[in-house]
Amino acid sequence: MKKLLSLLGILSVSLMYAQGGPLIIMNQSVNYDYRGNIFANNFAGAGCNPVVASNNPTMLRVPAGTTVQYDNFRDQYIPGSQSSVATWSVLLATGGTPSLRPWNHPSLVPGGVISNNTKWSMSKFQMFHAGTLDPETYFYGNIGDAANPCVNNVDYINALPMGDASWFTITTGGTVYTYLLIN
Amino acid sequence: MKKLLLSAAAVICLVSCNNENASANTVQSMKTPQMENFDKAFKSLGDPQNRPTEEEKKRNTSELSDRRKALLVPASKELILSTGVTENELMRKTGGDMSQIIVWATQIYMKKSDEIRKNIKSEK
Repeated sequence: MKKLLSLLGILSVSLMYAQGGPLIIMNQSVNYDYRGNIFANNFAGAGCNPVVASNNPTMLRVPAGTTVQYDNFRDQYIPGSQSSVATWSVLLATGGTPSLRPWNHPSLVPGGVISNNTKWSMSKFQMFHAGTLDPETYFYGNIGDAANPCVNNVDYINALPMGDASWFTITTGGTVYTYLLIN
Repeated sequence: MKKLLLSAAAVICLVSCNNENASANTVQSMKTPQMENFDKAFKSLGDPQNRPTEEEKKRNTSELSDRRKALLVPASKELILSTGVTENELMRKTGGDMSQIIVWATQIYMKKSDEIRKNIKSEK
């Protein structure tokens, strides 16, 4: 019994690590604020569900020159911050209706079934002139994990001379750190 | 009365948002040289010669290639050492693992940016 329990323990830890790990949005741009929707999904199985997307706000704001880290669906919420997500939209099955769940919903906590089965996958974003709501017409797009079998994404967007955006991961100690880098 | 309160709240919101932008610009100017170099290193990933090669694109993984990680390591090390960590400690803790060094430096970078932002706010 003890053996079984410790095996389960190890298994749950390894599952936890199999989860996405943090998402880091580095907006190194001096001129533009990032506003974007962030997504996570299952990279395997039929339909690649669940799919989790920021819902309130739909588009998060990461001001010019700011870096923000989303540790997981729960431990990112800062009341009043335009960079954090209060409500996630969760789609469990293709063709179903997404349900709206608050940041502290039991299914979204680290180790919860949705956390364990999703990875950060993409962002749909638009850059705005810093401190304004004027979009930079040429600097926007869908960017994400190009190795995601579920969604076709580019992992680099060239909007030079305004800037560029890259999506990549750096893995250490079993944790995958996903970077969305905007220059 | 309610309207007055609401508009007061709106004004406060606007003011605080404006301050946020002002401080974002000042954080830029208050970065340490090590933080600036860290910025530059990440920026250099977009240079034509540092973009993924055809070979690297074929790997079918989102993991940054070792060649591109290596571009981030010197500035990351510099940033870690600037916090008072010695070269020996750095090597002992990371075993020279590039990913670990970059992620560690990223955490320091965010912490330092937050500190600068807080200092600006408290000065105001």
